[in-house]
Amino acid sequence: MEKSRIPVKFHRRVCLVQTEDGVLAEELLANRKIATDIVGRLADRVLLVRPGRVDTVVQELQKMGHTPQVVT
Amino acid sequence: MSPEADHWTERVRQTLRRYEPGLLRQVAGNLCRPRNQWPVDELIERSIGILTNPAVLDRRLKELEPASRRLLAMIAHSRQNVWRIGSLVELTMATGAGDGLAAVMSLLDAGLLYPGLPDLDGARKTARLKSFEQWLTVGETGSTWAFAHPVVCARALGGDLGLPDCPGASGPPSGVKGQAIHEADGLEWPLRLSALWQQVSTTSLRQTQQGDFFKRDLERLRGDPLLAAVPGDGPSAVPDPGMLAAALAVRIGLLKQLDGELKAGGFPEAWYKGLPAALLGLWSALPHLDTWNTDAGHQPGGAPGNPFPSAYLLCLLLLGKLLEQGWADPEQVAAWVRSNHPYWKSAATCENSDVDPPSAALARFLTGLAYSLRMVQAIKSETGWLIRLSPHGRWLLGMGDMGDAPPATPQFAQTLLVQPNLEILAYRQGLTPDLIVKLSQFAAWKTLGAACTLQLQPESVYRALEAGESFETIVQVLEGRGMKATPTAVLEALRTWSNKRDRIQVYPSASLMEFASAGDLQEALSRGLPAVRLTDRLAVVANEEDIDFRHFRMAGTRDYCLPPEPCVTVEADGVTLNIDQLRSDLLLETELQRFAESVPHSGSNGKLQYRLTPSSLAAARQAGTSLENLAIWYMQRCGQEVPPAVYLLLAGADAPSPRLERHMVLSVATPVLADGLLQWPETRRLIHARLGPTALSVAEDNVEPLRERLRGLGIEAATTSPQR
Repeated sequence: MEKSRIPVKFHRRVCLVQTEDGVLAEELLANRKIATDIVGRLADRVLLVRPGRVDTVVQELQKMGHTPQVVT
Repeated sequence: MSPEADHWTERVRQTLRRYEPGLLRQVAGNLCRPRNQWPVDELIERSIGILTNPAVLDRRLKELEPASRRLLAMIAHSRQNVWRIGSLVELTMATGAGDGLAAVMSLLDAGLLYPGLPDLDGARKTARLKSFEQWLTVGETGSTWAFAHPVVCARALGGDLGLPDCPGASGPPSGVKGQAIHEADGLEWPLRLSALWQQVSTTSLRQTQQGDFFKRDLERLRGDPLLAAVPGDGPSAVPDPGMLAAALAVRIGLLKQLDGELKAGGFPEAWYKGLPAALLGLWSALPHLDTWNTDAGHQPGGAPGNPFPSAYLLCLLLLGKLLEQGWADPEQVAAWVRSNHPYWKSAATCENSDVDPPSAALARFLTGLAYSLRMVQAIKSETGWLIRLSPHGRWLLGMGDMGDAPPATPQFAQTLLVQPNLEILAYRQGLTPDLIVKLSQFAAWKTLGAACTLQLQPESVYRALEAGESFETIVQVLEGRGMKATPTAVLEALRTWSNKRDRIQVYPSASLMEFASAGDLQEALSRGLPAVRLTDRLAVVANEEDIDFRHFRMAGTRDYCLPPEPCVTVEADGVTLNIDQLRSDLLLETELQRFAESVPHSGSNGKLQYRLTPSSLAAARQAGTSLENLAIWYMQRCGQEVPPAVYLLLAGADAPSPRLERHMVLSVATPVLADGLLQWPETRRLIHARLGPTALSVAEDNVEPLRERLRGLGIEAATTSPQR
């Protein structure tokens, strides 16, 4: 029997930052420059980035000494 | 045909489309000899069809004048099918033709050589080429170029080149048994270019408007110990090696020009295919080096005309005329080219230059650059160095019986020695361009020699990780190519650097899937959705193309690179907002939380609700939300202006203070009477405002004067008490 289709809401071209733990997410939110480009916290370790600002966020993360892995 | 041949086939098609019909018919007539008057498109396709027909191609080549056939063969030997017209003329004249341009024109007419037409824009886009003479006249001096199709080049190989026996040829020098034959490993330039790539990855090279380097970068390229070092092996050195590295890197795409700077690009595909392919890429780049030559080294913006590309090719083709065991004196080879090359034969050039510099420069090319590219072998005789083509050189020049198979090189898999101090010793005999690329990505080159050294550094490892490598792939290279097990301290350092990087992952353009329940998400994952779970209902997929959409029914789609969509309706009270959850996005909730409060129990139709309250709006004001911000938000999300109730709550306090005043209401029987009272000047000034069709407001002080005026009209206004 054919399986039924799963209803899903599809969010395309979303910019996200996922951290190793919640404490690191808090650390990022405490940075004023990064916080202005974060528009939401979807989960304890998942931050939603303002559309079009991902390059700025990556640069700021690198300035903080992090080495973010850009997943494409 | 190969992808490369397909590329050039398409290029031929585009070029033929830009011929005037008359010119096209003339060229196609020579190439495919149509018996009928075919339409233009048909003629182009038939001309291209000849490129896949070796028998016809061979016939057309045989019909060519010897000078034209030789020129095509020399282009084929160069393994570079794009040449400047000036160089082609020089090649033809050096091999004895009186009019070098005639051979070029003959090939263009025959449809075996094609003009390099610039890309046109605007009104010039439809411009067509009327004749090859017009193209040569209009083109910039020295920069007009033409190309041949690789298949045509391949068919042209093997013919007579019109060259004499190799000058300075001799048999093996006496006592050759005791003399070692010197042959480079061909890795010198891949190594130097990799070192340059690493440096430019860190700091790009700035260029002037003329395309030269700024002084600081010139000094950097010329003074760098890796780039400027003289190779230890080989009969002679090349001038300005740092600048040659930069010029080669640009030509093979290792450095990319962007906004007036040279930035690190990707390693050429050929480097992953082995040493012969990498050397072929470098050899075929030489005819297009305009800013460097073996005479002056770096020479930006020099005089028009560059004789070196054709001279380099002639030198090597002469070596190709040597007998099997023969050797040649490089100075005599260079002297022949110098004396037969039209550039140096011309009086204008010779007047101001000594005879020696061009010859010395060409000899330096043979014993320096060609040697380091592994094209030439060298042996020491009593009178000096003798040279001949190496097996790699013969393959690169398309000579010999080896067909397309490049010469085999011995493989040494274990060639790295990783030391506990994070230094890697790379023995050169086991290096390959592929391994050089891998090492370049995660370790910094420190010395280049018989044994090269590299240093593992956090920055170099991060660079590799950013390029898609991982802790596992780096260790795989070190273990797979290492002579001993990788020291624990090195593995720990690599793991620490890799883990640090894994702490934050950024999805720049992810697809987020929001499921109705945790069960739905679990079901999607069990059906093979390549997603990472973020919450119990949210999962992220890095690449949308990986999703099998047959399993899903779209309850809503939102593209975050597009402007926000209206997905909120405003209730009649002006402060209650209903969220359309099918059209809403992840940003909406964050936006709403700035100025509204979530209503604990959703509305009667099941929609999520938010409500604006004095306190929520006060907090929004405190956080910097202005009426203008809200106006934009309401227009984007609700498709309407800010409701008056919200205006009242947010900005009511900013308006002039309201006043509470005592007024009497005068009610009249008909609207006409109210109009009359407002029109007659005697009563108009006593009435404050009209409240309705028959109701007028009168200030308490004006009640008695108004009553007097009404009495004068015979109207008695009765006073009634307000009803409770």
